[in-house]
Amino acid sequence: MSYPATSDLLWELTRSNSSFLVKRKTGGGIRLSRDPLNLRNVHSRKHSGTVNNQAIGIVPSGKGGISLLTKKSTGSTITQSYKPSKTSRKAYHQIANSTTKKGYRTDLREDAIARASALIKSYRKPAKPTKESKPRGSKAKQSAASAASADL
Amino acid sequence: MTTVKHVPIVKKHKKRFNRHQSDRFMCVDASWRKPKGIDNRVRRRFKGQAAMPKIGYGSNKKTRHMMPSGHKAFLVHNVNDVDLLLMHNHTFAAEISHAVSSRKRIEIIAKAKALGVKVTNPKGRVTTDV
Repeated sequence: MSYPATSDLLWELTRSNSSFLVKRKTGGGIRLSRDPLNLRNVHSRKHSGTVNNQAIGIVPSGKGGISLLTKKSTGSTITQSYKPSKTSRKAYHQIANSTTKKGYRTDLREDAIARASALIKSYRKPAKPTKESKPRGSKAKQSAASAASADL
Repeated sequence: MTTVKHVPIVKKHKKRFNRHQSDRFMCVDASWRKPKGIDNRVRRRFKGQAAMPKIGYGSNKKTRHMMPSGHKAFLVHNVNDVDLLLMHNHTFAAEISHAVSSRKRIEIIAKAKALGVKVTNPKGRVTTDV
């Protein structure tokens, strides 16, 4: 084949099986995708980065930053990294400006910003430490008894 | 980690459907087989007989496969599988596969906590004090 494969053909080829595809039988049979150019990790034509001419990806970069991957219609992928900062709004603006305003699918903008936000949030330390669960039932009785014996 | 608001989960029939006469004979297993006999009273749905499974007992599509927490289970084998649930932590919870070692379970649980993903079996192999 001398001419490049179309998106539609690529999708038909990778739809039922690909290295990015993760299938699970539990939970009603979900199909997810490991594609770095897939913003929601959903195995679908719209979100698949390998298939579409233009695609956006948000991946973690080292030291708590995020990287924006943009696939051009020529096939090359560009990486822009954003360092961690106090205001993440700036990064969201830049993501929107370098994708949606440059002719990428507008309906992926929300997903891109949601993913960037989720990643940034995951770097933060939890505000509240997790509570230690109180023992219930027979274990509660046991611990109470051991505490009482320790007092004596 | 909290789920999206959903309609209440209704289970229409919580008991198992046992095979007719499986309570009477050792050789008749409890797994459901539809009675086919011409005179069978269960098949003919006589009063007081065991109910037969049918499609009407199915769960609401919106709550099907849902756990009481409102999540659906997603089996994870390693940390990379948890990453898949980053954008689905309101609908899916990670369930660590049975063959995963305690060392890797700790890594998986830490990752899930950072991403806000619920783990259905966080205590398995990790807690040791008995």
